Amino acid sequence: MSYDLIIIGAGHNGLTAAAAQAARRRKVLVLEARAEPGGLAAGLEFHPGFRTSGVLHDSSGLRSSVITSLGLESHGLRRRPISTSVFAPQAEGPGLLLHGEPSRAAEEIAVHSTVDAERYGRFCEFQKKIGPYLRNLLNTAPPDISPRGFGQFWDLFRRGMGLRRLGREDMFECLRIGPLSVSDWLGEWFESDLLKANLAAPALLGTWAGPRSAGTAALLLMHQSVAENEVIGGPAALVRALNAACEARGVELRCGARVARILVDASKVKGVELADGQVIDSTRVASAVDPRQTFLDLIDPRELPLGLAEPISNWRCRGTTAKIHLALDGPLEFSSRPGQSFDAVRIGEDLTGIERAFDAVKYRRLPEAPHLDIRVPSLLDPGLAPDGMQVVSIQVHFVPYDLDGGWTDDRRADLIESSLAQLSKVAPSCRDRIVGHQLLTPVDLERDFGTSGGHIHHGEQALDQLLSLRPQARCARYATPISGLYLCGSGSHPGGGISSAPGMLAAQAIR
Amino acid sequence: MPLPSPFHERTASLCESLKFKSWAGYFAVCSYESHPDPEYFAFRNSAGLLDITPLFKYELSGEDSAAFVSYMATRDVSALKIGRVTYSCFCDQRGKVIDDGTISRLDEQRFRVTTGSPAYAWFLQNSRGFQVEVEDVSESIAALAIQGPNSRRILAELVGPGIEDLRFFGLVAARIAGVEVEITRTGYTGDLGFEVWIPRDGALSVWDAVMAAGKAHGIMPVGLDALDIVRIEAGFLLQDVDYFSAPRCIIESRKSTPYEIGLGWTVALDRSPFIGQKALREEKQRGSDWGFVGLEISWEGIEEIYTEYGLPPSLPTQACRMAVPVYSTGRQVGQVTSSTWSPILKKYLALATVEAKQVEIGNQLRVEHTVEYERMRVLATVVERPFYDPERKRT
Repeated sequence: MSYDLIIIGAGHNGLTAAAAQAARRRKVLVLEARAEPGGLAAGLEFHPGFRTSGVLHDSSGLRSSVITSLGLESHGLRRRPISTSVFAPQAEGPGLLLHGEPSRAAEEIAVHSTVDAERYGRFCEFQKKIGPYLRNLLNTAPPDISPRGFGQFWDLFRRGMGLRRLGREDMFECLRIGPLSVSDWLGEWFESDLLKANLAAPALLGTWAGPRSAGTAALLLMHQSVAENEVIGGPAALVRALNAACEARGVELRCGARVARILVDASKVKGVELADGQVIDSTRVASAVDPRQTFLDLIDPRELPLGLAEPISNWRCRGTTAKIHLALDGPLEFSSRPGQSFDAVRIGEDLTGIERAFDAVKYRRLPEAPHLDIRVPSLLDPGLAPDGMQVVSIQVHFVPYDLDGGWTDDRRADLIESSLAQLSKVAPSCRDRIVGHQLLTPVDLERDFGTSGGHIHHGEQALDQLLSLRPQARCARYATPISGLYLCGSGSHPGGGISSAPGMLAAQAIR
Repeated sequence: MPLPSPFHERTASLCESLKFKSWAGYFAVCSYESHPDPEYFAFRNSAGLLDITPLFKYELSGEDSAAFVSYMATRDVSALKIGRVTYSCFCDQRGKVIDDGTISRLDEQRFRVTTGSPAYAWFLQNSRGFQVEVEDVSESIAALAIQGPNSRRILAELVGPGIEDLRFFGLVAARIAGVEVEITRTGYTGDLGFEVWIPRDGALSVWDAVMAAGKAHGIMPVGLDALDIVRIEAGFLLQDVDYFSAPRCIIESRKSTPYEIGLGWTVALDRSPFIGQKALREEKQRGSDWGFVGLEISWEGIEEIYTEYGLPPSLPTQACRMAVPVYSTGRQVGQVTSSTWSPILKKYLALATVEAKQVEIGNQLRVEHTVEYERMRVLATVVERPFYDPERKRT
């Protein structure tokens, strides 16, 4: 059996690339090791009757251009009418609902600081102003900086000039902010700890960086510049729509088909070999699995271009995120706002606390007070839980992959306990309502979803692992030095999270 | 300052000339007496004993060791039998030679590689993805070369007549003076000879045993000066003299491929991928720019140019490593990189790199030779290598 293109991994990026390539009348086969498509974006039943909307639960990064070009709306994809409001509860105090609408957010901020409330508008304006520039950077293939790519110098120059168009003041401000820590940068704007902690969080999701780590300000700017309204039903709904789009275009999806080897001969892709020994021919293979596995596990080292193994094995993918799913028999209620429900919540009252949580990961320990990024997907998609019950999806930061002493049952229990303790401080009724739970440590994520180091982004998002360096200068533009082999997962520009952008940009690069 | 090798206690006390040099960071004897001639003749007529500990030695073991060695080397060692040794080049991705050395298969999943310069980092850095362990045994293994027509008799006295069965490029485990060693029938002299690989602690016991057993067979400790003569007679090239290790070359033109230095026969092209395969395949198709030849420099020519000055002919009394230009019809077409007077052949020999079209046997070239501060050119003929190739080497 022969295909025009084989895609390894039916995560949302793999499916995106498949649908986009199939639209070009190519015969596409998607191979997925798991029993269901979706990868980290797939919903999973973690307790009888309770399903998540995806291990990754934030779908605000999904690119509108992908929805349009794949016609995902005709396959049932819907976005929320307004952007998500994130609630930052306090143990003592009213908490802060960071409304998606800046003027309404400012009203909430004013309760904590009138100065901050006033500045918040300007802060949003600044982000809005540089947004188009960053979006352009994040929605196109990165410039080629490989030794052979000097012809792309013009592209690099043009993008540099794009920054210049922001105006002298904003350009220099951007250049100044980029390497800053998010803590320093937000400190220049605001005084409220709660506000700063809430604003900083998106920069830190899944990264091996605390709020005081250099370069995190750039990560925040990038995250915010591409944030749009979330998908109703979350990432799982996106996977359903992508799946439908693939089906409509004749993409063949095979689940339970683990790829053991990408077959290469004389620097050209020949196809893949499955774990059961079956060989499938194709002159094009796009890998949506992380770069480390793609190059180091799936390809015969003798077929790898010399000098690629080393940088790829230096690719940093130390998972820092654990996932806890709770099945509640009642609502998740916060003492600061009784009677109200929030579908997006961040627990971490100040940046120092978050930095302390990050400290633990540096020393391979468990954080005493982890930073929690919470979604209650069943509020918007009641079908995820039985009537009147809720699903609580918690990304726990910062949790080391290589925990000192290893991941024993006791340590797992410790992590659940410390996370629940954090949650109980602001939602005391929560504990009594838990009817079921699931913990996925980075080690579990690696085992169940096949991401090296259990890294939810397929590799850390640091300044040296972004853009033309993701995952390596020689394969940053989706094509690799092996003819016919492409990368189309989160390990490629513009990186991890639910965006479909790497998949789409890769599909454009596949010849 | 160089370090003493495990044999230093013996070699230093025997070295009357006090002539040492540094070989890969070890004290190495140039010649034990004031002139290397007696040692040279020991190699050719009886037996010579040489400390070759300074060679770099690596052990590669594990499930993928055969695949890994074959990937690193120009040879395919997957079919190399246990107890056999082969000689190979190691190239970079452009097919330029990094090193040359022997590969011994000690076991199904264990190889020992010798190289002329440090290769640990190169092996390690390319071992990702292979189930292989790379161990630098350069210091833990001492080594002696016992070379010459009597070498087999000496070893037979030490390890028994079984040594007679050890074929050319074979390897056998043995015990000398109670020390477990490996003996390979390899060498750098182009003669009957063996190399003994010894755990460092046993070095002196083995030296003493070999010297004692060799006494009746005319064994002599030999230094590098005599080795340099015999290796040129044997047509063997020397790293950093006849070719340069690619990573240490500042300019591209200094690098060589195996084809260019006469080691094309070590390249097995059509097989599993190895480093440099693509470039070497292209070169094989395209043809090489350079070739490596043996030259016999005309003695009559030498006499002639000395006679012009009223001088008797005179040659360096030792092997010469100074590169000199080679000409064809007035145009420089290459360079001699090593040359020596061969005492046994009574010929003036040279190893040279010349343009590929000049490599034909019988081709007449001219080699620069300076007489009385004047650069002259002497007739030299391309001849077969090795210059000296006794039957006993293989039988």
